[in-house]
Amino acid sequence: MKKSDKKKSDKKNKLYLSDKQPLSTVGKLMLFLSYIVLFAWALIILLPLADMVVSAFNGRQEQYIMLNDNFQFSLKHFDYLFNETLYLSWVKNTLFIAIMTAVITLIIVSFTGFAYSRYRFKGRKASLMAIMLIQTIPTFAGITAYFTMHSVISSIAPFFTRQMMLILIYAGGGIASNTFILKGYIDSISTELDDAARIDGCSSMQVYRLIIMPIAKPMLAIIALWSFIGPFMDYLLPRVLLTNPESYTLAAGLFTLINDFRTMNQPAFAAGGLLTAIPIVALFIVLQKQLVSGLSQGSVKG
Amino acid sequence: MGKYNEFLYDDIGNEYARKNLYLLELAKLQSKLKTAKAEEKLEINDAIKKLIKNKKNNPYNLELSSYKSKEKNFLTTLNAKVKVFVSNLDKSIDGKLKKMEKDLFISTEKASFYKKYVPLTHDAALAYERNCIMRDQLPEIIQKYKTTKDELTNAKAHLKQIDVQNEKKVKLEIKEFASKQKAIFNEGKLKLKEKRHSKLISDKALKNGIIELQKKRSEAINLKSYESDKKSTKELIENKKYVLNKGIRRELNVLKSNISDLRRKTPIELSKTKPYFSAITVLFPGIGQLLNKQALKAIVFAFATLFIYVIAIPYALGFGNYQGSGISGLISLAEGGKKVDKSLIFMIEGIVAIFLLMFSAALLMLSYFDVKKVEKDAMKGIRPRNWFESYSKIGQEGFPYLVSLPALIVTVFIVIVPITTAIMLSFTGMDPKHQSKFTWVGIENYKLIATGSGLAGSVFWSILGWTLVWTVCATSLAIFVGFMLAIIANNDRIKGKTFFRVVYLLPWAVPAFITIMFFSIMFSQNGSITTLLDNFFNIQLTAKTDPFYSRIVLILLQTWLGSSYVFLLSTGVLQAIPGDLYEAAQIDGATEWQKLKRITIPIVLFQTAPLLVGQYTFNFNNFSIIYLFNGGGPFNPSKYGNLAGSTDLLISYIYKLTMENQYQSIGAAITIVISLGLMLFAFIGFKNSKAFKEERL
Repeated sequence: MKKSDKKKSDKKNKLYLSDKQPLSTVGKLMLFLSYIVLFAWALIILLPLADMVVSAFNGRQEQYIMLNDNFQFSLKHFDYLFNETLYLSWVKNTLFIAIMTAVITLIIVSFTGFAYSRYRFKGRKASLMAIMLIQTIPTFAGITAYFTMHSVISSIAPFFTRQMMLILIYAGGGIASNTFILKGYIDSISTELDDAARIDGCSSMQVYRLIIMPIAKPMLAIIALWSFIGPFMDYLLPRVLLTNPESYTLAAGLFTLINDFRTMNQPAFAAGGLLTAIPIVALFIVLQKQLVSGLSQGSVKG
Repeated sequence: MGKYNEFLYDDIGNEYARKNLYLLELAKLQSKLKTAKAEEKLEINDAIKKLIKNKKNNPYNLELSSYKSKEKNFLTTLNAKVKVFVSNLDKSIDGKLKKMEKDLFISTEKASFYKKYVPLTHDAALAYERNCIMRDQLPEIIQKYKTTKDELTNAKAHLKQIDVQNEKKVKLEIKEFASKQKAIFNEGKLKLKEKRHSKLISDKALKNGIIELQKKRSEAINLKSYESDKKSTKELIENKKYVLNKGIRRELNVLKSNISDLRRKTPIELSKTKPYFSAITVLFPGIGQLLNKQALKAIVFAFATLFIYVIAIPYALGFGNYQGSGISGLISLAEGGKKVDKSLIFMIEGIVAIFLLMFSAALLMLSYFDVKKVEKDAMKGIRPRNWFESYSKIGQEGFPYLVSLPALIVTVFIVIVPITTAIMLSFTGMDPKHQSKFTWVGIENYKLIATGSGLAGSVFWSILGWTLVWTVCATSLAIFVGFMLAIIANNDRIKGKTFFRVVYLLPWAVPAFITIMFFSIMFSQNGSITTLLDNFFNIQLTAKTDPFYSRIVLILLQTWLGSSYVFLLSTGVLQAIPGDLYEAAQIDGATEWQKLKRITIPIVLFQTAPLLVGQYTFNFNNFSIIYLFNGGGPFNPSKYGNLAGSTDLLISYIYKLTMENQYQSIGAAITIVISLGLMLFAFIGFKNSKAFKEERL
């Protein structure tokens, strides 16, 4: 009895059950090589980031980050970051700018996306084309003007701060591409839904509000997210437009920790970078599929 | 003398007979004239002349004018009657009801007056039928309003007298009911769980079942709670209020749209034959609409007039400017002005003035064409739309324009005005010595760039060369690495794909400025990478001081950063490739390499091409990596002058020119040059894109 059982299981083990072809020696070698390449690249990615994490927590690091065998866990760089720098106000500024940008972008783009998808009006194609081309001009081109424009506007409306200018620039710059993305998405929503709603007596505004927007929510979320992340990533405009360290965004503020001799503190920069990166990385990991699809949709449609 | 048509037409081309006999006769003669022979022509012409001469004594016209004077009388007496009627109304009723009662009274009176004149003119016919509709439909609405109002007051009174004792009792009952429901729910849940336990249903079915039970429970409780007198009365009050507010409005809208249907079906007859209102009032939007008897539309257009004459034109003439002098400031650029006057402000205000004038011109055109269309239609027989109709038309056809307006304004002021400024600036001589006042210099700056001369222009070509090398190398390498990794990782036999994907996502997800700055630290003289290389391989890497190594490191760094994005994109595409393609290839005896070359690469490239092109333009303008890594350095004044470093791209060179060294005009010129190049690039890509070709835009 026992013997036959063993025999059976032996036989079972020898059966090749996978639907893939068995690997040849070359194949095995290739697989091995593949693993090596993948792990090597993973290491290349992880090591610098790991160095950043370690430096942020290493109490032995002084003003300059150096290769250091000694590691002593300490939160003193974070302590420095929160107490000696304006990190918290930078976070606050960045959040304010990011949220406002996302909100303004959403409001403007949800309307234009709907209009460009559902209506065939005069000048539609020409305007889309024009905006697309104008967008290829780097934001840079306007920098000289932004400065002066801000001083003109703020003399009329004193509450108009440089941060608001920044928000408008971010929102204005994203209109065209986001309109494209959203238009593509709304195009894929059946127009029968609109027709049904219109027959039931909905006005255009109601179709927009009650039919299209709820369905387009996933794409709106992606657009909002991208507009939200933009100000976190951008260094150039805040650096040029914002003159007061109190009003800096994270990117501009953290840069002062590594390029200015008076405020130089590289480990604190590592700590600040870490704190900034973690929420964004988490967002990206959770939403990677949607983010990538949002990107590619906008481009393929455009 | 204009031409008249024998018939009148409406919006959709229905034909109507004229009721104005005088005009009808004229039209008949005119049409006869067209087909008549030469000898008859004189005769007909005479007849027409005679007819026009006797216009005042024409029997139809006499009748018409008598009708008009009667109508006038009737309206004045009606006014007096209405006043009496209103004063006799019950004082306690509210404004809405009062207005409806008044309208009803007026429409009854009017209907009986106009009835006699229906055959005479279309206007009277319209007035008659319109008032008939109101006379017939208003009573029902008034009745509904009254009863709902009564019910509302009753319900409110009832709410005050609710028996507290009884209410308490009911509350207790409801509580009891709720606990019973809970028991039922728990029982059901237990049963479901048992079923799940004995594997009769799946996990999902269990979940759904529980949700269903919960819904049932809350619905039952909700239903029961209306047994409470208080709650149901409150609900009733809510309901009645809604009816009074929205319900009545909806009924009135139905009435209005019935009337507008009627208006569409009743033509208008005018003796006018040329649309001269539009020509006369072209400069003053609003007046033309007023002449067309579209009062509310006129008010809307009056705002346009206000904008043009109070804001745009004064601003263009230099009033209300911050510092400049409107459009003339664009020419003078504050030359000879006060010391505080800045040429740049004059320029920007001039540009803003131009855009305001352009808006004004657009408004004028809009108004002109609107008035003209309404006039022309009216001559054909189509009645001008009343406000209710215009409003709903604007809601449909004007909707895309209205909702795009914020986008337009933001784009004009945030994108187009600054770009125009840059274009103009490139034709001026704004440099460190001419900061506050500068003049037009023509194409001087472009000449400097083209010939590669001058302080700023001399390095243009060498920087352009490096920019191109950088763009091609960095992007291609990133694409290559990302794509290779995607193919390798997409192998079925590779385990731990999630791990690799998350890790490979990191360079994209961590904000680039952080990684670049940190790499900058690591590659510095005492940085960890430099030290590591020195310790292990005995290589002295001088990434920050040697131009060649610096460039290599930058390209590798961009590969590190950019490959992540390409990897994610290609992975997405790879996973979507149907497996049967590969199976078919295998059956045909294709090798792995052939499969890769003939299936995988073409599909992935085709799908991601636009994005990859975008990567090239992105890197062409990749300011942050250059500036944050080493500030464009290392600097080599003998080769690159004092303004640029050896790794500076055009974009960071422009930044240094404009922001750090104040050579704004030549910076602007370079911006324009590269923008034109990029635009051409984008335009070609755009023209060839699938979306554009298929007219799906």
